[in-house]
Amino acid sequence: MRVGVLGAGFAGAMHAHSALGLDDVQVVAVAALPLDHAAALAKECGARVATAEEICAAPDVDLVVVATPTHLHAEYAIAAAKSGKHVFCEKPIARTREQAEAMVRACDAAGVTLAVGHVVRYFPEYQRAKQLLDDGTLGRPAIATLVRGNFSVGSAREWYLDPAKSGGVVLDLMLHDLDTVRWWFGEPSRVYARRFTGSAGLEYALATIRYDDRPIVHIEASWAEHSGFRTGFELRGDRGMLVHDSRAASPLTVQSPAGPSGPAMMATPTLSESPYRRQLRDLFARIRRGERPRVDGHEGLRSLALGLAVIESADSGAVIEWKAPA
Amino acid sequence: MSRRLRVGLISCAHVHALGLANTLQALEHVEFTGIHDEEPARGNAAATEHGARWHETLDGLLAASEAVVIASTNVDHRRYTEAAATMGVHVLSEKPLATTLADGRAMIDACRRAGVQLGVAFPVRSSPAVVALKEAIAGGTLGRMRAVRATNPGQYPGRWFGDKHLAGGGAVMDHTVHAADAIRWLAGDEFARVHAELGSFIYGLAVEDCGVLTCDLVGGAFASIDCSWSRPRTFPTWGGVTLHVVGEKATVDVDVFRQTLTHYDDTAGYTRLLGWGDDLTARMVGDFVDAILAGRDVPISGDDGLRALEVAIAAYRSAETKRPVAIADIRA
Repeated sequence: MRVGVLGAGFAGAMHAHSALGLDDVQVVAVAALPLDHAAALAKECGARVATAEEICAAPDVDLVVVATPTHLHAEYAIAAAKSGKHVFCEKPIARTREQAEAMVRACDAAGVTLAVGHVVRYFPEYQRAKQLLDDGTLGRPAIATLVRGNFSVGSAREWYLDPAKSGGVVLDLMLHDLDTVRWWFGEPSRVYARRFTGSAGLEYALATIRYDDRPIVHIEASWAEHSGFRTGFELRGDRGMLVHDSRAASPLTVQSPAGPSGPAMMATPTLSESPYRRQLRDLFARIRRGERPRVDGHEGLRSLALGLAVIESADSGAVIEWKAPA
Repeated sequence: MSRRLRVGLISCAHVHALGLANTLQALEHVEFTGIHDEEPARGNAAATEHGARWHETLDGLLAASEAVVIASTNVDHRRYTEAAATMGVHVLSEKPLATTLADGRAMIDACRRAGVQLGVAFPVRSSPAVVALKEAIAGGTLGRMRAVRATNPGQYPGRWFGDKHLAGGGAVMDHTVHAADAIRWLAGDEFARVHAELGSFIYGLAVEDCGVLTCDLVGGAFASIDCSWSRPRTFPTWGGVTLHVVGEKATVDVDVFRQTLTHYDDTAGYTRLLGWGDDLTARMVGDFVDAILAGRDVPISGDDGLRALEVAIAAYRSAETKRPVAIADIRA
C-alpha cells in the first residue's frame, strides 16, 4: 500500500507516523499549504514533497490520507477518487452535508474505498464498553454522559476558529462522542444543545441526545479545558455502571524540576499499538480483503449530520427531530 | 452571643432526619426541644435514640420551640409550615420547598403574614469549595461566567421518594433543586428557560429515575443538571454534587464531597468512601440559627426555595411537551 498524505498538521503527522510502522505500507508523498510545511514530515517518512493535486493524480499512490482543514476534505477526496485512489479521510468527513454526499457518490462511482477516521472506535476503553453493552452485562442502557475537552486549539491553528472551515468544537471534538453513541446505541430520535464562543478561541457545547425509548445521553465538548486533553464517560445500564476518566488512566507520568510535564524527557506510551495505528492496520487489511471499512462514507455522513443537528439546535434553541441520512 | 435558640424537629420521614437530629443536639447555639412525628412509633424511637423529648402533639412541640426543622415527606412541608407560622415559629424546611408552586407560595405567604422566617435546606451553599468559587466569581477571577455542567447523581433513596404524591415526583424533585440553587447563587442570575429529558429506566418506578436538564439563564449563560438516581447499589457512596464552571478567563471544577477515605471493608464485604470534609448540614443549620438569633434574614429564603422548585416543575412540563419551557410560563 503506497500512501500519499495531504496535510502535515496534527492529524497528517499522526496518520503518517502510524502508517510508517505497518508492514507493506510506504508513505510516498506529503503535501501541505504552504508546501514547505510538508518538508519535515516528508523527510521523516522518506517521502517526497508534492502538491495535493499532484498526489491525488500520482500513479504511485494507492491511497490518499485527507488530513487538510475540514472545509477542503471534499475537494481532495473527490479528486483522489476520480484518479482511482482509495481515500482515508480525517473526521469530520466534510464541513457540510452536501460535500459529504458528493464524496460518497464520487467514491462509489469510482469503486474505491472511502473510510472516515472516527478513531474512537479503535480506543480499547470505548470498545470494551461496547462489548459490555452488547453482551448484556450492563443491562439495558439508561443514561450515559460523555465528556471531551482540550485547551483551545485555535491559538495554534487558526482555521479551527473559523466556523465556516472547522465547524467549531461540535464538529471537531463532540463529533467523536456523537459517532460513539451512534456506534453504541444506534440512531437517536431527537437532539437539544447549547454552545458558546468566547474570546481567545474558547468554545464549549452541551448536547442532550434522546433515544426513542432509552437511553438519555448527555455530551460535553470543551475548548476551555486549559490543563489539556481529557476524555471521560459514565455509562449506566439497569444492571450496572461503567466509568472512564482519562486523567485517572495514565500508567506513566513524568515530573522534573522543569515542571509537571517538563520537556519531553521520555516517551510515554500507554498502549503497545496506538488506536491510530490500529485504525490504519484494520483499514488496509479490509481493503486487501475487499471488505468495507469499519467507518465508511455513509457512516461518516450520518455522524456529521448528527453534529450539524447539534449545531442547528444550539443556534435555533429548538429541539431537533433526528432522522439519519440513508 | 450566648443565647440558645429553642429548635424542634418535625417528622423523621426524610432520609436526612436523623442527621438533622444529631445536628440539633450538637449545635452550641441550639436547645433541642424534641421531636414530633406523624408516625408516633418512628418519632418516639428517634427521640429515645437521641435523648430528645418526644412530643405526642404538633402543638406541644411548636409551643416549646422558637424554630422548627421540617424533615417530613415533601407534600407535608406546607401543612407543617403553616402550623408553625400560626404559632409564631420560624421554619427551616427540607428541600424541595414543596411539591407544587401553589404550596410553595402559600408557605412563603404564611410565614410573611406571621412575621416568621422561612429557610430551605440547601447545604451545597455551605461547602467551603462552593463558597470559594462564589468569591472567585464575584472577584472576577473567572471573567464572565458562560456555562455550567452540574451533576447531583445519587443512589435511589427508596422509602416514599418514588411516590409521586408524597414526593411530588422522582429524581427531578429530589436532586434538581440543589444544583439549581447553587447555579443561581453562583451566577447571581435567574433561570429563564428549561429543557428536560426524563425516563424511568432502572428501578421500575412510576416516577423518573433518570433526567438531564438544560437551562438558560436570563443573562445568557447556560447550564445542564444531571439529577439521576444513577448510582448503583454497589457504588461506594450515596452519590455526589459536582459543578464544572466555564468562565471567559478560567474553568473551575468543584466536587463537593470529594474529601473521602476509601475503605475496603472485608467484614462488610464492600468498599465505601468515608467523607472527612466539613459537616455541611451542621454549617447550614448553624447559619440559619445564628441569623435568627441575630435578627438577620436567614441566608437561604423561601423565595430561593421557590426559584429552585420552578426549575423542577418546568422540567416536568418540558418532558411532557418535548419542548423547552419558559419559567415565566409556568408561573402563570
